[in-house]
Amino acid sequence: MTTPLPEFAVELMNVRKQYGRHVALRNLSLQVRTGELFAFLGPNGAGKTTTIKLIVGLLRPNAGEVRVCGHEIGVNGVSAKAQLAYVPDQPFLYEKLTGREFLHFVAEMYGLSNAERDRELKSLSTRLDLLEYYDQLTESYSHGMKQRVALAAALLHRPKVLVVDEPMVGLDPRTVRVVKDLFIEHTRAGGTVFMSTHTLDIAEALADRIGIIHRGELIAAGTLAELRSQARREQSLEDIFLALTETQNG
Amino acid sequence: MGDHPIAAISFPAASDVTETTKVGLLLRTRAIATRNRIATALLEGPVRMLASLVLIGLIWYGLYKLFWAVLFQLHRTPLEATVAIPMVFNFFFVAMLALLAFSNAIILYNSLFSPKEAAYLLTLPLNPRDLITLKYIESLVLASWSLVLLGFPMMFAIVDTAGRPGIELYLAFLAFFLAFIPIPGAMGLLIAWGIARYFPRRLAKAAAIIAGLVLGASIASGFRSLSLGETATELWLREFLLRMSFLESALLPNHWVASGIDEAVAGHFPESLRYLGVTFVNALFLSWVAVVVVSRDFLTAYDRSSSSRSAGRRTASPASGGVAGLAFFYLPRPLRLIAAKDLRTFVRDPEQWSQLAILFGLLVLYLTNMPNLRLEFSRSGSLLIIPFLNICAVSLILATFTCRFVFPMVSLEGQKLWCLGVFPLQRGRVLRAKFAFALTVTLAAGWTAMTLAAVMLNLSPLWSLIHLAVTAAVCVGLCGLAVGIGARLPSFGQTSAARIANGLGGTVNLLASIALVSLILAGVGIASWRTQSIVDGDLPDLVALLWCGGAIAFALIVGRTTLRMGERHFERTEI
Repeated sequence: MTTPLPEFAVELMNVRKQYGRHVALRNLSLQVRTGELFAFLGPNGAGKTTTIKLIVGLLRPNAGEVRVCGHEIGVNGVSAKAQLAYVPDQPFLYEKLTGREFLHFVAEMYGLSNAERDRELKSLSTRLDLLEYYDQLTESYSHGMKQRVALAAALLHRPKVLVVDEPMVGLDPRTVRVVKDLFIEHTRAGGTVFMSTHTLDIAEALADRIGIIHRGELIAAGTLAELRSQARREQSLEDIFLALTETQNG
Repeated sequence: MGDHPIAAISFPAASDVTETTKVGLLLRTRAIATRNRIATALLEGPVRMLASLVLIGLIWYGLYKLFWAVLFQLHRTPLEATVAIPMVFNFFFVAMLALLAFSNAIILYNSLFSPKEAAYLLTLPLNPRDLITLKYIESLVLASWSLVLLGFPMMFAIVDTAGRPGIELYLAFLAFFLAFIPIPGAMGLLIAWGIARYFPRRLAKAAAIIAGLVLGASIASGFRSLSLGETATELWLREFLLRMSFLESALLPNHWVASGIDEAVAGHFPESLRYLGVTFVNALFLSWVAVVVVSRDFLTAYDRSSSSRSAGRRTASPASGGVAGLAFFYLPRPLRLIAAKDLRTFVRDPEQWSQLAILFGLLVLYLTNMPNLRLEFSRSGSLLIIPFLNICAVSLILATFTCRFVFPMVSLEGQKLWCLGVFPLQRGRVLRAKFAFALTVTLAAGWTAMTLAAVMLNLSPLWSLIHLAVTAAVCVGLCGLAVGIGARLPSFGQTSAARIANGLGGTVNLLASIALVSLILAGVGIASWRTQSIVDGDLPDLVALLWCGGAIAFALIVGRTTLRMGERHFERTEI
């Protein structure tokens, strides 16, 4: 079935978020195109997690608007969430469910038929190497294993927008490679990936565009070439990141 | 803005899930998780599970015998029974209304506004109403445990003493319980939402403490005004009944349930059914109102609650660190550091110290009222009854504290054993630091209360010493049990102290603590009774002293043995 998608999968328009007197985001405006892998970088406490929580509807902005696939998350929350999936850095799994039971729960939540579910699970569980642990309670899983199950759960319904926070932490090199491939395949099929990370070489290798947030403000956004131009230096993303955030500190 | 015709990235069904209710799916998943939990518990520790069930059964039986004895005595004088029994029902359901509303509010606040499961479910295409309905049902089941624990033994005692046992009476009671539970549940849901919506997180804690203190002061004030008059006289009783008559208002749920049960016991089933209908319809209506009201505004309340968690940086006075270190001057340095760390955590967490402060605040208010009571009891020649009741109250409060706050300490440390576990000291000694911390806090509170009690009652020096020694032994026994069982039956994966305390190990600790306190108090009770009745004076004889000494020795042995058992297990534990 062909589904028309808007030009921008994720839009934040003049978003402001305060925690008490502390301003976490100041008039943040950001657009992520459909089919794009967008890497979101920033030092600790810069506002990355707040931005992600606003996109997935866990927080509400004090001012501004957040849209996912054209749906305003604060107004059409359920419609917007049907289009996205979120994998946090510390994924939540029901400890007293097996991996299989948890994935079946998620599939049913998104209304997948049993045939669709089984077909997707067969592919994902093989690629993410889940089969060995499939029928064990998730409480016995390692962090990396939990991360893999959470990724499978997120990709199960083929979301239009995949939001991931530090996706590679705790994964072994083989799984890191598989996850990279999955992200690339996802964007090639028309999906969008919004990835927050501190691993700059992964961002450099995968991202179509990169945004850098510092002290609640977007200080740079663009392709790697555009960021190099903005930083006025032909160097690695790490050097550019340090240069841009250093300038702002000064 | 142009639209791109892009190949199917999404399953058609996934875009069409918007308004279908998911409560069935959520409940089914809960049922699967519960089945797995039971299967795991049976597989890992069948004896432990069986022992817990046996102990719970014993408690139920004990409560049944207690209710039966009270009701049997009342039935011996039919006139008193006619007045008192409906009143007992009324008081019971008023207490349950308050207790369950409070329990539901705590459970729902923690589960609806937690950063874990609720946060996960809110990122799924799920109507917030479904999440609230799930958590509401779950809370009703969890919070109604106290009603099951107290209500069922009472139900059996009522049926047995009524002299007309029949299945219809049991069914009537069960129906009334089920119809009643959602009423305090709905109140709890509205309270939890109100706190998250209108109070930032720290203010919510402050509000809870203030509410507790106001409640305590009100109870104490009521108690003071009642105890000031001529106690145990007809006038006092009349005044007491007058004050409590508002509880019998026909608009209150406790009245519907108490009257309905009363009618059922009398064999008037049509009237009983009418009360059941009123209770049931009101419970449904209140539940609907609460779920609809909270659903409409839930995301705003959730946002406020989450935002306040991230607001501002919390600081602590450096002086508190120094005081914490000084409090454990008697411990070797490594243990002193761990105990001081626990004391700092305790002082900086109002949830912990506020409950101990409220309980002991109430006790102090009660103790300051005692001279009036003493006069009444000295006339009746029962002078040692009040000191004995004091030590009972103090022991039970200490047991509540150790079960709720000391027991989870070892489990909570499980997440941090990467740090404590590599320190250059035996791992078992960590438990001694926990024990020292718990003993210091409980002894400070227990001895303060008992010293005040002894002064207010002008108790003889020997009995004052005995009571202080028994309090110390109770503290050693309870702290040893809480730390020892906490290490033997830990829940290292759990991060919520309340859930750890309510788990299997927590239940075993609760039952063991009740048993320990009961046995110690039995020894002291026998000594007090012997002094009063046989020796006929203020000073205990050798036999009475032996009873007290036995009780003290028993508490010390239990505390030491359980702590040692916990240490041995903790040394071997692999996390």
